[in-house]
Amino acid sequence: MPLLKVRNVTKRFGGLVAVDDISFEIRHGETMAIVGPNGAGKTTMFNLINGVFLADEGQMIFEDVDVTHFPSYRRAHLGIGRTFQIPRPFASATVRENIAIGGMFGAAGSEVNVDEALEMADHYIELIGLTPHRDKPAGGLTPIEKKMVEIARALAMKPRLLLMDEAMAGMNPTDIDKMVEFLKDIRDKEGIAIVAMVEHIMRAVAGLAERVLVMHQGAKLVDEPTQEALSDPKVIEVYLGKPAEEFHA
Amino acid sequence: MMRHLQKYSPILPVLLAYGVLLGIGLAYPGKWQLIAQLAFYCALGQAFNLFMGMTGYVDFGYVAFLGVGTYGMAVSIYFLYDKGLGIGLIFIGLALAAVFSTGLSLAVGAVALRLRGAYFAIATIGVNEGFRYFVEGARIWNGADGMIFSRHLRKAVGRETAMTLSTQWADILVFGVAVLAAILTLVYMRNKVGYALTALREDEDAAKVMGINVTKFKIIAFITSAVLAGLLGASAWALKLTYVYPEDVFEIHYTVEAIIIVLLGGAGTLLGPIVGALIYGASKYFLAIVLPGFQLLIFAPIIIVIIVLFPEGTVGILKKKIRGTALEKFII
Ligand SMILES: Nc1ncnc2c1ncn2[C@@H]1O[C@H](COP(=O)(O)OP(=O)(O)O)[C@@H](O)[C@H]1O
Ligand SMILES: [Mg+2]
Repeated sequence: MPLLKVRNVTKRFGGLVAVDDISFEIRHGETMAIVGPNGAGKTTMFNLINGVFLADEGQMIFEDVDVTHFPSYRRAHLGIGRTFQIPRPFASATVRENIAIGGMFGAAGSEVNVDEALEMADHYIELIGLTPHRDKPAGGLTPIEKKMVEIARALAMKPRLLLMDEAMAGMNPTDIDKMVEFLKDIRDKEGIAIVAMVEHIMRAVAGLAERVLVMHQGAKLVDEPTQEALSDPKVIEVYLGKPAEEFHA
Repeated sequence: MMRHLQKYSPILPVLLAYGVLLGIGLAYPGKWQLIAQLAFYCALGQAFNLFMGMTGYVDFGYVAFLGVGTYGMAVSIYFLYDKGLGIGLIFIGLALAAVFSTGLSLAVGAVALRLRGAYFAIATIGVNEGFRYFVEGARIWNGADGMIFSRHLRKAVGRETAMTLSTQWADILVFGVAVLAAILTLVYMRNKVGYALTALREDEDAAKVMGINVTKFKIIAFITSAVLAGLLGASAWALKLTYVYPEDVFEIHYTVEAIIIVLLGGAGTLLGPIVGALIYGASKYFLAIVLPGFQLLIFAPIIIVIIVLFPEGTVGILKKKIRGTALEKFII
C-alpha cells in the first residue's frame, strides 16, 4: 500500500490550470523529487497535498484515509509535514518555541505536552546547529537559518511524509551537500518514511532522490527513477533546454 | 513541582501592581474613585488583550460584551429582587453576565471569526450598534427606557448592604476581574492555547499547516475575552451605578479606549495592559484637571504619535531591554 495516492488531481486559478490531471504515488520510506521549471505547478501540487488548497477535481488518499476534503491541520495530524519555499517561521516566537509548536500540534501532538515539546525542540535545535540562537525571535534570523528552523519545525511534527519546497534554493554547493547528508541522515534515523522535495537544483536531486516526477505547465511529464529521468530527452528539452551533462554538474 | 510553579512567576508583578493600587485606594478614600477608574481600565485592557493581543484580531464591537454583561446583572436584580435571594442575586447576576456574553460571542464569532484580519475588524464594527438598536427596537429589557434598579437592590439586601455593594464591592469585583484576566492570560500563554494563538497571530496558514485548528483556538480566546468583558460590565457598570441605558453601555468609545490601552502597554504581553491602563487613565485624569474640555484634543495626537513610534508598546520595549537578565523571568 502506498503512503500517498494522488489520483487525477486538478487545480485551476481562474482560467489557468496550475495542476492538470496529475496522478502519482509515494511509497513508504522513499525519497522523491518533484522538479520542473518555474511556474510548472510544483508549489501548487504541494499545497494540494497538504491541504492549503483543495483540489477542484480528483482524489487524494493518505494511508487509506481519503483526505481530499481535509483541511491542512487534519492532514498534519495524520502525518503530512511541510516547509515553505519562502520560509514562514512565527516571527515573534523564539527558535525554540517555533520548533516546539511543530511538536505540540503535529502528528504526535495529542501525546506531547508543552514541556515535552520544548525539550524535543532542544534536540532538533542541536541537530540543525542553531543552539546559540535558541532563545532569539525567529524573525531576526538570516534566510538560511530560517530555512533550518522550518525544517526542524516540520521534523518535530513527526511526519510520515515530509514535503520540502525548495529547501536548498539559494544555498552554495557545499551547503547543499551538507543538507543532502543531513536529510538522508534524518530520513534513516528519525524514521521519517519519506522526504519528498521540490527542487530544481540538480545537484540535490541527484544526491538525494530515488525517483523524480517532472512537471511541465501543470502536467506530469515523466515519473521515473532519478538517473533515467535526468537523461530523458523529454525532460532535457523542457527543462531549460540544456544538455544532460549540465544537470549533473 | 517547583519548576512547574516557576513558569507562573510573571504573575507576581501583576499581583504586586494590583495590590499596591488597591492599597492606595484603601489608604486614601478620597482617591478611591480614581483608583476604581484605573482598575476598570486595567481590567478592560487585560480582558481585551486576551483576544486582541494574543490573536492580532481587532474586535471593534467589543464593548457589546460589556453591555450584555451589564444587562446580565441588571436582569438578575430587576426581576429577582423579591425572591428572597439576598446577596445571591449578585452571583446570579455574574452568572447571567457570563451566559449572555458567551451567547453573544458565539453568535458573533460563528460569523466574524471566519473572516481574516481587516475583514473581521470591519464586520465587528456593526455588532455594537446593531445590538443597541436591537435592544431599543425590540424593546427587550425595557428598550431605550433602560433599567433602573437601585430600589430593587435596596429591597433585596437592605439599604446598608446595597450602599456598600455599589460604592465598594463593585470596584473590588473589578479588581477581581482584572486579576482573573491576568491569570487566564498567563495560563493560556504557558499552555498549548497560547502557542497556538502566537502561531496564528503570526501566520494563520502556516499555523494550520503545523496542525493547529485555528478556528478552535480563536473561538476559545474570543469567548474567554468576552466573558471577562461581561463580568466587568456587570461589576463596574451595573452593580456600581444600579441603572443601565442602552446608549450608555453600547458606546464604541470604550472599545477605542481598550485598543489604546493595549497598544500603549504592549499587545500580547501580560504586563502591558496594566502599564497602558495606568498611563492612559492617569493622563486622562490629570489632563481633565489641567485642561478641562480640551483633553481629547491634546490627548489623541499624543497617543497616536506614541503608538506609531513604539509599535511594541511600553512592555515590548522593556522586554527587549531586560533580555538575558534575571528580570526576564518575571516580565512578559
Ligand atoms: N494562489 C494563486 N493564485 C493564482 N495563481 C496562482 C496561485 N498560486 C500559483 N499560481 C499560478 O499557478 C502556476 C503554478 O505556480 P507554482 O505552483 O507556484 O509553480 P512552481 O512552484 O512550479 O514554480 C503559476 O502560473 C502561478 O502563477
Ligand atoms: Mg514553487
